[in-house]
Amino acid sequence: MATKLKPVDVAVVGLGAANGVAVLPLARAGLKIAALEAGSWMKPADFRPDEVHNNIRRMVGTGRKGWGEIPTFRTGPGQPTRRFTIPPMMNAVGGTSIHWDGNSWRFHPWDFKVRSETIRRYGASAIPAGSTVEDWPIAYDDLEPFYDTVEYEVGVSGKAGNLQGKIDPAGNIFEGPRKREYPMPPLRDSDFTDMLIAGGRKLGWHPHRGPAAINSRPYGGRSACVYHGFCDTGGCHVNAKNSTMVSTIPAAMKTKNLTIFERAHVTRIVSDDNGKVTGVQYIRDGQEYFQPAKAVLLGSYTYENVRLLLLSKSKAYPNGLSNNHGQVGKNYIGHWAVRECVALFPHDLNVWQGAFAQNVVVNDWADDNFDHTGLGFIGGASLTVNHEVHPIASAAGPTFGRAPQWGSKFKSYLRENAGRWVGVYAQCNTFPYENTYLDLDPEVKDPLGNPVCRITSGRKENEPRASLHAANKAAEWFRAAGAIDTIVTPSPAEGPQLSVHGVGGTRMGDDPAKSVVDKWGFSHEAPNLGIVSGSVMGTHGARNPTETIQALAWRTADHLVKSWKSIAG
Amino acid sequence: MKQKRSREARGKRIAGVSITRRDMLAGATFTGAALAGGLIPATAIQAAPQAAAAATKPVTAFSPEQRRILEAFADRIIPTDENGPGAVESGAAEYIDRSFVDFLAAEKESFATGLANLDAFARTSQGAPFAQLSTEKRDAVLTAIDNDQAPNLKAFFARARRLTLEGMFCDPYWGGNKNFAGWDLIKYPGVRLAVTAEEQKMSKPAATLHKSAYASNGEDNHGH
Repeated sequence: MATKLKPVDVAVVGLGAANGVAVLPLARAGLKIAALEAGSWMKPADFRPDEVHNNIRRMVGTGRKGWGEIPTFRTGPGQPTRRFTIPPMMNAVGGTSIHWDGNSWRFHPWDFKVRSETIRRYGASAIPAGSTVEDWPIAYDDLEPFYDTVEYEVGVSGKAGNLQGKIDPAGNIFEGPRKREYPMPPLRDSDFTDMLIAGGRKLGWHPHRGPAAINSRPYGGRSACVYHGFCDTGGCHVNAKNSTMVSTIPAAMKTKNLTIFERAHVTRIVSDDNGKVTGVQYIRDGQEYFQPAKAVLLGSYTYENVRLLLLSKSKAYPNGLSNNHGQVGKNYIGHWAVRECVALFPHDLNVWQGAFAQNVVVNDWADDNFDHTGLGFIGGASLTVNHEVHPIASAAGPTFGRAPQWGSKFKSYLRENAGRWVGVYAQCNTFPYENTYLDLDPEVKDPLGNPVCRITSGRKENEPRASLHAANKAAEWFRAAGAIDTIVTPSPAEGPQLSVHGVGGTRMGDDPAKSVVDKWGFSHEAPNLGIVSGSVMGTHGARNPTETIQALAWRTADHLVKSWKSIAG
Repeated sequence: MKQKRSREARGKRIAGVSITRRDMLAGATFTGAALAGGLIPATAIQAAPQAAAAATKPVTAFSPEQRRILEAFADRIIPTDENGPGAVESGAAEYIDRSFVDFLAAEKESFATGLANLDAFARTSQGAPFAQLSTEKRDAVLTAIDNDQAPNLKAFFARARRLTLEGMFCDPYWGGNKNFAGWDLIKYPGVRLAVTAEEQKMSKPAATLHKSAYASNGEDNHGH
């Protein structure tokens, strides 16, 4: 029998990148919050400047709960189901924001209006076949104030490309207008970033230094980046990376309104016969608890959000919480982010160190930033080339047809060239499709006997074309920057199997028959259940999702504060 | 011209079994936003990685015979030659063996089957167990795999090659890259806790440091 705890105003499930931000406006408004986090606080000693620790064993990027709940994957009904070897979900106070690489982007205004803008410019036939893409119920301008808040509260380095309509080519000229400049300038320039900027400009494109949630100078009482080069899937030993662990969560704790329960493994969100949620059931150190709450914010990773809703059946929700319209798990999007182009240079690049987000980005071939007439796809990809290439990843790279894959000639090739190649990180605009969704695996269970999440991802035509187009542009860019060889390889048509940019599955929309949450992030069916996560996104932009997740989370929390009586009363 | 070069290069790489979707930075892999792990049968039990301390225990996942096959293989991926110590001399087999004790335990059976299949193929194609063949004949076995003459060994080859590279270029803490031979080979500058603008210059890369992320006394090297 679960021990019933003292009621709180808000129970938040998961305290990572999303709820780690959402708790701050709630706590400042004086709401009492119980944060249920499956992981624990991490310490600087948990972080190591070690590729095996970070990138191979993922000892910062995973957590105990996640290892028991690794999703399964298939390309369609009747196809063989396989299970991944590494969990996509992080468990820790601060979650994924501890180990992400810090690329902190706003989505493009087009991302919010893909359907209507595509029809307007290219006609209805340009909507990709099989896609369920809809306009978001909000526009970029609705989110702008919250992007701004997050950039200042969390701390983001960068250069504005569109400051209230004033265009500056030192930043992303394609971005939506922003109210203010970034709170910090971009991360340090290097010979390598200079080389890439020069190459892009030679082509008449608009390369710029990318924005990062990393301190380029001391900010928020924390140190500036020391560029040691273990940012990606690693933690920051000087707290220069602005995870919620070091920024918004400590700020919320100062109000004394936030209580964090570490090692709290949430098993169900409980609802009453009227369809309102009443609290959260969880297991902590072997004991079962029920935390009553007037409102619940669900903020675990996309796969777990969907799974937890589907597992939380009740009389009011026989098919899972907030799933009476059968929309939970639909419109899932695995972000199409690929290294389709790699390049070999005739000299050492010295990219071993530096931050992963110490990069150069080209946005000319993303979004609707170019005319797509006759191209056979919509969207495109941002192209990012970054520092921080570790020795194993480097040695395991391509040999550009210049050496065999083993033996003395291979070794000799590595000696000369291991430090002379890089790949582009091409992040595509990615859309939802009928053949791509999440549900519960009928066979595979977690250690508690609950089914794990199953990913079904079928073939697409739009994204492979868009990403190949962008990859060929990347090859041009590399050549202009001095590369002597490039390889372009198309990506698999079914898309990413397991994505750490997995979004959708509880889409935001006005129509309950096509979405799970409303434009504020609250369930169409359970009025006091909010969802803060990439799972509410209806499209994936051509950039990293975290800042958009955080802006949405802040907005949902802000709405809860402002509408407290109608939502929780 | 560019397209032609690309296709050619790609063809060679595929023939060389080099391209695996595990290889984080190689070719058209989903990466950054996708995970570099693999896929296993849906019902296999997955083990969480052990605490880093476990790596220092003298443990082995393989029998002496399996270990001999593994070493004979790793030796041909990166041989000891005029460019310095090879994978075996640098402890790559030690790294791989330790990995299968904990982190890769779920994959051990399929890897062991791969080792046995390699040995069986060596016997049928070259007349002796793999580890007993001359280096020339071992190379002939690997070349035959490259040339699609042993389709059941392709996935194993890619996996074992990848693990050999991990063992050659990992932090020495994990049992490989002994005396920093791997890092010296590729001029990896080593672990620093802070990197200056000067040390990021392309023309004058930082000096190579023989420094592990873990000090030899077992204390961490994060300096706080």
